[in-house]
Parts: sequence; C-alpha cells; structure tokens
Amino acid sequence: MSARKVSVHAKWIIGRVIGTKMLKTAKVRVTRLVLDPYLLKYYNKRKTYFAHDALQQCTVGDIVLLKALPEARSKHVKHELSEIVHKVGRVVDPLTGRRVAGTEFVEPLSDLLVEEKTLSEKLNELNISADSSAAESPSAQTPTS
Amino acid sequence: MVLNGGIFFSAYDLRTLEYLQKGEIIFKNRVKIMTVNYNTHGQLSEGARKFVLFNIPQIQYKNPWVQIMMFKNMTPSPFLKFYLADGEQVLVDVEGKDYKQISQHVRKILGKSEEVLQSEAQAKMQASNPANFGPKKYCLRECICEVEGQVPCPGTTPLPKEMTGKYRAKMAESQE
Repeated sequence: MSARKVSVHAKWIIGRVIGTKMLKTAKVRVTRLVLDPYLLKYYNKRKTYFAHDALQQCTVGDIVLLKALPEARSKHVKHELSEIVHKVGRVVDPLTGRRVAGTEFVEPLSDLLVEEKTLSEKLNELNISADSSAAESPSAQTPTS
Repeated sequence: MVLNGGIFFSAYDLRTLEYLQKGEIIFKNRVKIMTVNYNTHGQLSEGARKFVLFNIPQIQYKNPWVQIMMFKNMTPSPFLKFYLADGEQVLVDVEGKDYKQISQHVRKILGKSEEVLQSEAQAKMQASNPANFGPKKYCLRECICEVEGQVPCPGTTPLPKEMTGKYRAKMAESQE
C-alpha cells in the first residue's frame, strides 16, 4: 500500500498537548470550528493528533504548533513539533516579551518607575545647580586640588 | 440585542446564512492558522471581543480550511497571530482598536484583494459553459426537457403520436 507514504492534508496545525506518556511523542488535541447545519453556529470539534517530539520538551497543557512530516513516521504519527507557542505556566507576552500570568505581568513594569526617579532626581539637581552655581564650583575644585 | 450600524437588528441575525455569506475577508492561500488571544474583561479587549463575536463566523465560513483558535485571558494585551504556509508568523496588536478597524486591517494585510477575487470568478465562469448539458456535478441542466418552452420529458407526459419513433418507422415503411 502506498497510501501510507502520502503526506497529510493538514500541513500546519495548532493544538493543546493532552498527553506525554509516550516516548518522544506528544498527544495533541486540535479544535476546529465546525458549523452546525441547523443552528448555524460554530462549535469546536476536537481531533487528536500524535506529534513527534524528539527532545520531550512538551508538558500537558502546552499550546503547540505542529508541522506535517513529509512521510508518516508510523501508523499514527504524521506530524512533528515545530514550536511551543505558549508554555503552560510560563506564557510570554509576544508584544513586550515579558512573562505573564493570566491578565497580569509576573514582574511589575519596573522600567518605567526607574525612569521616573531618575528624571525627578535630575530635575532636583538642575534646581540646585541653578540656585547656587558659584557655591558649587569652588567646592568642586577644593577636593581635586 | 446587538446593533451594528443598521446592518442587522438582533443577535439571531448573526446566525443566518445571509450574514455568513456577507463576509468580506477571504484569506490568501498561504494563511493556514489564525489565533486570537483576547480577554473577557477590560476596555482594551472590547474591540477584540466584538471581532470574535461578529467577524470570526464570517471568516470561517469563507475560509473553511483555515484553522481558527481562540484563547481567553492568557495575556494582558489582546493580539491576533497568523501562521503562514512557509513557517512565517504575523502578529497583529489589537489593543484598544475597534472591531471594524481590526477587520479592515486584516483584510488589507492578508486578504485577497478585489481584483484577485474578480479574476478568480472570471476564470471559474470560463471553465464551466452554461450551454452544456450533462451530469449535475458539471453542468447546470441534464436534458433540454428541463427548459421551459421545450418539448416536455416523455417520462412525465407521453409525446404526440407523430413524434414517436415507431409511428415514424411505420410511415417510412408504408411509403416505400
């Protein structure tokens, strides 16, 4: 039978890992939106795929991008892990690059706070120097001499 | 009750074939997967939520082979991500935008343009000639008896005697 060598229809799919108990293989659940013919509403329809994961880096609950293999690796495994899109517990916001937990950032956005302090400090320094420029210049010269 | 600038009047209108067929976004062949990350609360995700409610069914209807997945409350900022056939990924930031702006932007970057759609429709028309008769899969009509004003099918009404083959054969024999 040459049907096994023919590659699969779905070249790229995204799904959620539901099992990693097999050696170097991840069980991935892929949901597609299917229109109910009577209600005319879209519902998620699930399908499980097996994906080859050479480094066994998937854990249950990861969102994973799979790429179709050019030839089926075994009777069931026709895809391989391309990248882990969202790692469970370590989701990274793609816009800022920071770690995220739910709808909040794990570390507070501390960059902005640091900038504010330095700005205000700089303003204070400017005020001091504007008021007493003559007093500062001799005091600066004495330690050097 | 949902209003959309007068295009429809109730939530049930979202579930009509007419509404689904009105979808304008038809993706280029390279787009394989579409992912929408949005939040269920918060003003910044409002546009994304409306986009999911109004436009996703239309997009899926017009692009049945694109996998669309929705993720809720995973990141603080909403975004769209498209995965193309050659491994390329497109990230679209959607924070604070209106759902109409989002759909127009998506159409501009990854949708087939009007000219491409029209040329495809033209090619399709040229491939199938309405003047041909044949199986339903390939042609509009199977037999000329289906057309109004033509001789009806002898299966439903018997032909007049002068048109039947056996009468004509008898006449031809009697003349010789």
